[in-house]
Amino acid sequence: MTTNTAAEADVQKTGRPILEVLNVTKTYGEGHTAVTAVADASLSVEEGQFVSLLGPSGSGKTTLISMIGGLLTPTSGTIRLGDQMVSDMTKKELTSLRAERVGFVFQSSNLVPFLTARENLLYVASLPKNHNRKVAAKRADELLGELGLSDRANNIPEKLSGGERQRVAIGRALMNDPDLILVDEPTAALDTALGRQVVQLLAREVKQRGKTGIMVTHDLRMVEYTDQVFEILDGHLTKSDGTTPPAGH
Amino acid sequence: MNIALLEMRRAKLRFGLLSVAVALLVFLVLFLSTLSGALIESFTGAIKNLNADVLVYSSSARDNIQGSRLNPTVTAQVADVPGVASAGGIATTTTSAQLPSGKGDLALFGFDPNKAGAPGGLKEGRLPSATNETAVDIAGATIGSTITLLPTNIPLKVVGILSGAQFSAAPTAYVDLPSYQAAIKASNPNVPFIPLNAIAVQTEPGADPATVAGQIAKAVPGTTGYTIPDAVAKIPGVSSVSQTFGILVGMTFVISIVVIGFFFLILTVQKMRVFTLLRATGASTGRLARSVIVQITAVVIVASAVAVLLVWGALKGASSGIPVSLDPTLVLGTVFAVWLFSLAAGLLSIRRIRSIDPATAAGAR
Repeated sequence: MTTNTAAEADVQKTGRPILEVLNVTKTYGEGHTAVTAVADASLSVEEGQFVSLLGPSGSGKTTLISMIGGLLTPTSGTIRLGDQMVSDMTKKELTSLRAERVGFVFQSSNLVPFLTARENLLYVASLPKNHNRKVAAKRADELLGELGLSDRANNIPEKLSGGERQRVAIGRALMNDPDLILVDEPTAALDTALGRQVVQLLAREVKQRGKTGIMVTHDLRMVEYTDQVFEILDGHLTKSDGTTPPAGH
Repeated sequence: MNIALLEMRRAKLRFGLLSVAVALLVFLVLFLSTLSGALIESFTGAIKNLNADVLVYSSSARDNIQGSRLNPTVTAQVADVPGVASAGGIATTTTSAQLPSGKGDLALFGFDPNKAGAPGGLKEGRLPSATNETAVDIAGATIGSTITLLPTNIPLKVVGILSGAQFSAAPTAYVDLPSYQAAIKASNPNVPFIPLNAIAVQTEPGADPATVAGQIAKAVPGTTGYTIPDAVAKIPGVSSVSQTFGILVGMTFVISIVVIGFFFLILTVQKMRVFTLLRATGASTGRLARSVIVQITAVVIVASAVAVLLVWGALKGASSGIPVSLDPTLVLGTVFAVWLFSLAAGLLSIRRIRSIDPATAAGAR
């Protein structure tokens, strides 16, 4: 179980982690209707690590990465990314954080339908305050090349296959050179082979670029590409060896 | 990177159709405004553009210059009222005449060229200064041509062409008072004296026309003074024409704003997933709101350009019988108002964008 003690042990073992989640709880509603989606969760991840978060539907895994990525604020507990306390940030600060330090790959890719693959990357590049158009254009072309999408760069999502769309979403997540990449069910809309290919690609990008990645998945076969495995069930987070299916699967 | 314009480029049909719909509505607003302006101008131009600040009618005139009768001796009494710089008699009648387009009605005005009450809007030539000279606002009239009063066959030599000087939407001719009186006497030799219909007054510099009008009414029994805007507003039929067109223009304007507002609201609702995704990836509400503003502005600009072309074509093609021209101030004012109110309607969309919870992009709620 990744309790305080487990998180602290990780820190002691490897130095200061880039991401630290301590005793985070998220409760929706109040009184009798209150539902705790995440209860007292703690974890820490170091730079260059790719972590998987396993759990059945409704277990709280998406809520947890949404809090880590600044999409939601925790009811209690703290989240630190590098030197920034994500859990203390205002909405405006969270918007900047998401634009500059976090890259998201959502379920079913979620690209802007009227922008080409290249424009989907360039748009997120234009979000940070000090963006440089020339640098962004070069980086978008490089990323699309690395992801094997050079010849598909000027196609809108409708003209791309599921795997290509997912690769564009990965490119978009990497576009602003974020510290943290959060990936939610990247294989949900893909067949096994393609799903494996996408996760391999993600793992490679995270490692090569020295980023920190968290992948939410319910597919146990994908954990072999990750450095740490966490399981979440009914909002309770535990550390796992990744060899046994989590409860509820 | 301008996501708003990129979207418009990729959805040409959708935004094209909206632009055409808005263009037709802006066309209606501009066309109706232009027509009503021209119609009212043709009813009131003679009074509105008169070289005067105050008009004096007889108290029994019931605010109508044609119902007013004043003895010419009143002119001197009016001239003596404090605040009056110049006072000149004006007489008007409707007669038949041989016009460039054939026989027709003519509004004939007599005025004193040396005093207040000369017509405004001289486009070409000069104002009459001798007997049987005239300045006219008549379609087809040219300098040097002749207008013949009927049935007296008195010829009037055209020495000036006026614009915006018609009265009661009729061809209008201005002559000096002696020529006017001669024309009336020729058709009615037994008339004991020829009354004036009004006295035009120029006020002294700095004097308030409304105050001077009130002072004249007090000082000269049996008279009522009007400022020019007041006299124009009281011309019979003007206010009802103005109101009717005002309602038509207002309704069209409101409909165009509602169309734009609803279109962008529907578009926003359709794009909620995209907006949510963009919010989740770090786009601020302000940035997304700006994209709506850019699209509204682009639609209004394109639609207005099309509308102006349509109005221009329609005015060129249609013969309304009254002088009609497209006023750049009206165009700019209308386009600006449509843009401004469209932005206000766009607030509905912006409100929806503001309510977006970026967490829903991840499906966390």
